[in-house]
Amino acid sequence: MTVPPTEPTPADPGPDRLPAELLAGVTALARSRSSPAAERGATSDLTIDQSLLLHAIGWEPVELVCGVSVVSVPYGIWSWGSGEISLASAAHNAAVRNAASRLGQEAATAGGHGVVGVSVEVTIHSRHIAVELTGSAVRPSRAKGAAKAVFVSDLSARDFVLLEQAGWEPVGLAFGASFVYAPRRTMGTAMRQKGQNVELTNFTEAMYSAREAAMARMQTSAIVMGGKGIVDVTVREGPMSFASHAVGFTAWGTAVRLAGKGHRYIRPQLVLPLDDARILFSAESLRGD
Amino acid sequence: MSDLIGGDRSAGGGPAGDLPEAADRRLTSGAFSSGLTVPDFAACLHMGLRPVGLVQGFCVMQWGWTGQGSIMRGTSPYSTAGRSGSYSEVFRCPHGYVSAEHRSFGQNFDQPWVEQAWAQGFGSAYGRLMEEAGEAGAHGVIGVVDTNRHLADLNVTEFHILGTAVVVEGWDPPPGTPIWTTSLAGQRLGKLLEAGLMPVSVVAAMSSVRVWASCMTEYLMSGQAVTWGQATGTDEVVQISKAHMEVRRLARDQVRGMLGGDSLHGARLDVFERGGEDQVIEAVLRGTRVRRFKDVDPIPVPKPTVSLA
Repeated sequence: MTVPPTEPTPADPGPDRLPAELLAGVTALARSRSSPAAERGATSDLTIDQSLLLHAIGWEPVELVCGVSVVSVPYGIWSWGSGEISLASAAHNAAVRNAASRLGQEAATAGGHGVVGVSVEVTIHSRHIAVELTGSAVRPSRAKGAAKAVFVSDLSARDFVLLEQAGWEPVGLAFGASFVYAPRRTMGTAMRQKGQNVELTNFTEAMYSAREAAMARMQTSAIVMGGKGIVDVTVREGPMSFASHAVGFTAWGTAVRLAGKGHRYIRPQLVLPLDDARILFSAESLRGD
Repeated sequence: MSDLIGGDRSAGGGPAGDLPEAADRRLTSGAFSSGLTVPDFAACLHMGLRPVGLVQGFCVMQWGWTGQGSIMRGTSPYSTAGRSGSYSEVFRCPHGYVSAEHRSFGQNFDQPWVEQAWAQGFGSAYGRLMEEAGEAGAHGVIGVVDTNRHLADLNVTEFHILGTAVVVEGWDPPPGTPIWTTSLAGQRLGKLLEAGLMPVSVVAAMSSVRVWASCMTEYLMSGQAVTWGQATGTDEVVQISKAHMEVRRLARDQVRGMLGGDSLHGARLDVFERGGEDQVIEAVLRGTRVRRFKDVDPIPVPKPTVSLA
């Protein structure tokens, strides 16, 4: 009779590295009041997870960068009319173009090759439109010299890493906006529809019209930048708070193109979490419900 | 400002200050308090940090006469910026003389006296937090958060900063070692250390730009540029756009001045506007100053996963 082999014991995980890292960190800090680094430090609004992810694919944050533009909208254009409120659409698109250009310039000045995690704030007032962009300029860790073209992207660092792994690259922020009048109903139509459950086709059609124009502009801006598609599109639509008969549709996303010859399949690994998300006990169950 | 924010209080007992006697008793009573969540608390113990007390600092500031800084700023097109690196720009009227009410020029200028008052409020609150940390014998303060709010319908602002004072287990700091501070705690702090970065201190700066609107800015912001100005109707309001860009630059420059070659992690930029055409734009930039203590040790490229749950 032979002795059955013993169950393999789990490998000894060894001493935890974290306390050692902490001691090394505080000791280094106590040794010198100022940074021993010769070069300028980086500034960024990325989380530590996002910074680590960037480092994993050979990129690093460089500088926190901003781009802002405020463009005037002429008085009285929101009140009456039909079709597109073209001056408002033009003002919006100009504000985005200016802000994105300034963001890119700041990134290029800082030595960045692109900007990731751009927060997009668009404020539409009746007399002016403001666009504020803030993000972190990034570059390949071993980059030497300036980039030929700086991309601007609202993708998070996580999405940027995933995009890179799939063989694609961002080329810029694609934007489109359109504002359209919802024509007022005739007196007769308004009276007939009073108290009825009916579709207000003037609003539906205005929304479709605004949607089509804005989406077309967004796609055109992507094509102009050399993009083959747009990912992570954000859409905002609805009536203007200061003009109930005007509807607006804005859409933006990151224009992307293939970095190499073709798409790379990521082949994600399937995982089965062992934690049970169901509630195992709740006080109500004591009543037998 | 950098002296205040840099955290020059010594570890293991700071200089004698004006800490209330009751606070002194509480901090040395033998039981600890902390603002950490249970996961953050567990993670800190795991990495060798022992909480010793929830430390806080307050400062209530009255905003009085804000002054004009250098002479004639905002009242003369010939005035200049009041200090090196600050901002002042004149926007002239393109119309010539129109009437006594017509503004012949507008001006953007930053307001260092407002920025210094904010820095005084924040710095005093931060200094008091550090004093408490020193009293508790802390080596660092983690999970630092700060708020500032108007206390009443007065020109009164309360600055409040709190964090959890911690001791590094098994470490005997040399005399005069500064207390380090960070807004991070728990696993995020652990990841920062793993990445080879040690927090030095929280940093924060406020910048303020006053806009005295030129005639064109007034027309553009009220949508009347086509009627009264020399514009197409959808022109950029250059004066306001520049004020926004500059207020952000000033905040970043101030923080950059506090870093001394270190990096800024987890920056948060908040911008506030007060007023319409004539307005004040303020920006507050916060973050943690971090220093590299070992070379970058990149993590392997992460494997994407799909959960079956």
